[in-house]
Amino acid sequence: MTNSAETIMIIGAGIAGIHAAEALRNEEYEGRIVLIDRDTELPYDRPPLSKEFMLGESTETDIALHTQENLEELQIDLKLGVEIVLIDSEKQSAVLSDGETINWDKLLLTTGSSLRRLPIQGSDLEGVHYLKTLSDAKAIRGNLDDIQQIAIVGAGFIGAELASSFKKLGKEVTLLERAPLPLAHILGDEMGEYFLQMHQAEGVEAIMEDTVVQFNGETQVEEVLTEKGKTIPCQAVIVGVGVIPNTALLDKELQIDRGYIVNEFGETSLPNVYAAGDCAMWPFLGNNIHIEHWDHAINHGKCVAKNMLGGEQTSYSTVPYFWSDQYDYRLQYFGHTKNWETTVLRGNVEDKEFSYFYLNKSNVIEAALLVNQPKNALAVRRLINQQKPVVPELLPNTDIKLKECMYVEVD
Amino acid sequence: MTNQTENLPLEENKYTFAAASDSVKEGEMIDIFLGKETVVLARVDGSVYAVDGICSHAYSEMVDGELEDHCLYCPLHFACFDIRDGSVLEGPAVTPLSVYDVMEQDGSIWIKALDIYGE
Ligand SMILES: Cc1cc2nc3c(=O)[nH]c(=O)nc-3n(C[C@H](O)[C@H](O)[C@H](O)COP(=O)(O)OP(=O)(O)OC[C@H]3O[C@@H](n4cnc5c(N)ncnc54)[C@H](O)[C@@H]3O)c2cc1C
Ligand code: FES
Repeated sequence: MTNSAETIMIIGAGIAGIHAAEALRNEEYEGRIVLIDRDTELPYDRPPLSKEFMLGESTETDIALHTQENLEELQIDLKLGVEIVLIDSEKQSAVLSDGETINWDKLLLTTGSSLRRLPIQGSDLEGVHYLKTLSDAKAIRGNLDDIQQIAIVGAGFIGAELASSFKKLGKEVTLLERAPLPLAHILGDEMGEYFLQMHQAEGVEAIMEDTVVQFNGETQVEEVLTEKGKTIPCQAVIVGVGVIPNTALLDKELQIDRGYIVNEFGETSLPNVYAAGDCAMWPFLGNNIHIEHWDHAINHGKCVAKNMLGGEQTSYSTVPYFWSDQYDYRLQYFGHTKNWETTVLRGNVEDKEFSYFYLNKSNVIEAALLVNQPKNALAVRRLINQQKPVVPELLPNTDIKLKECMYVEVD
Repeated sequence: MTNQTENLPLEENKYTFAAASDSVKEGEMIDIFLGKETVVLARVDGSVYAVDGICSHAYSEMVDGELEDHCLYCPLHFACFDIRDGSVLEGPAVTPLSVYDVMEQDGSIWIKALDIYGE
C-alpha cells in the first residue's frame, strides 16, 4: 500500500507519538518509522503518575506502554535520549544529537507540553518538585518517608490529584491556589466552590487567592512564603501551575499560537509536516482550541497518523474528554466551552453522584461534567457530539433518559 | 448493584450459581460478585455471556459501560471488548477480559471460571 522506502519521523514518544506510530503499522504502512524522544525511558503512561503510581499501587512495569520487544515487532525505530539539533524543512532532513541525519518524507510533531516553572527564589532547593515524567514521580516517591507536610502550589487537576494521593498516604497537605476557587475557569464558580469544599472535607488546608513568592530552607525546602504573608512549613513542595506547549522546533517556519496550528487533518502550515496532541492547536466546531489531555492525545495522534499516509483524509472531530480521580470522586468532562449561557444539574450533589451540563444560548450542550456517574458517560458524549438543542427543563429529571431530552420540532 | 449471590458452595462440576435467568434481559447486562471477583453477565441474541466486571485497562466497572450487540464499551476510556470471548476490539485496552463459561438451566445462570483465556 505504501512505499516501503519512505520514512516517517515522529518527534515526541509521549502518548500521541506512540499511538501515532502504532496506528501507522495498523494501517499497514511498511516504510520506516523513526520515533524520537529526549526522555530516556521507554514510553509510559502519564495519568497514573499522580494517582496509582504515586500511591504505590502500580509499578513502572504496569504503566509501561510497550516493551522493547513489542516495539521491535512493530518495527518502530525508537531513539531515546536524543535531541533534535536541526530540522531542514526544505530538504526534509533532521540532524540528531547522536550525529545521525534522518531524511524524512513526512514529519509528525508530538512534542507535548512542559510544565510552567515558577521563577522564584528557592526554586532549586531540594524537595521542590514538578510532576511530568516518570523520573519526577520516582524522585517524589523516593523521599516519601521523610515527608510529613507537603505543600502543593496550584489546585488544577494535577495539584488536586496529588492532594488526594498524599492525603491517602497520611500526609498533611496544604493546597495553594491563586484564583478564588479551584478549576472555576473551566468548571465555573458553582463547581469551583464544590471542589473547594471537597478538599476541605478531606482535611486539606486549602488556601485560595494567594500565591507563593519564595521557598525557604538551607539545602532542603523547609517552608513556603506566600504573597499574603503566610508561612507554610513543609518537607516537600510540588508545583502544578499549568502547562506550555513545546513549540521550539521549526518555530520560525510554522504558524504557532498556543501550540502548532493545524487544520482538521493535522497538517501544519508546512507541507509534509503534521502535529498532534498537547503541542497542537486544532479546529473544533469552528474555533481553534488546545486540549492537554490523554484521550485527545491518543485520538488526535491516531487520526493524524492515518492522514499522513495520504489515503482518504479524515477530519478530526472527537469530542474532547478528560477524567480525573480525586479522593473517592471520579470526574469526567466532555466537550469544550468558555462562554456558556446556563448550567443545569442532573442528580444530587449531596450524593456525590451527578451530571452538570453547560449549555449555550441555543440550548446546545457544549460541555458536561460527570461526578461519579460513569453510566452517563457514553450517552453524554453522544449528546454533545450531536450538537443539537435539548430541552433544559427535562435534563434534571432523572426519570427521563438523556437521549429523550433532545428538542423535537413539531410541525 | 443489581444482584448479590450468596456464597454457595462450589458445585462438583465447578459451576457456580450466578443469577436467575430473568434478571439478565436481552441486550442488557448486570454485575454480580463472586468472592472478590466482579462479573458482568450479559444476554445477546438469547445467549448469556460472562466476562470480568473490571476493565483490563485501568480501573472501571464495565457494567457502567454500554452494550451494543456483542460490543461492550468501557465508560472510562471507551475500550471495546467482544462480550463473547473477551477480546479487545478497540483500545486503549490491550489485554482481553477474562471470560467465564456459562450454563443456563431451569431458569438459572451458572458460570465457571476458565483457567486460560479463550479456552
Ligand atoms: C501527572 C500527570 C497526570 C495526568 N493525568 C491525566 C488524567 O487523569 N486525565 C487526562 O485526560 N490527562 C491527564 N494528563 C495529561 C496527559 O498525560 C497529556 O495530555 C498527554 O500526555 C499528552 O500527550 P502528548 O503525546 O501530546 O505529550 P507528552 O505526553 O507530553 O509527550 C511529549 C513527548 O515529547 C518529548 N519531546 C518534547 N520536545 C522534544 C524535542 N524537542 N526532542 C525530543 N523529544 C521531545 C517529551 O520528552 C515527551 O516525552 C496527565 C499528565 C500528567 C503529567
Ligand atoms: S479503564 Fe477501561 S478503557 Fe481504560
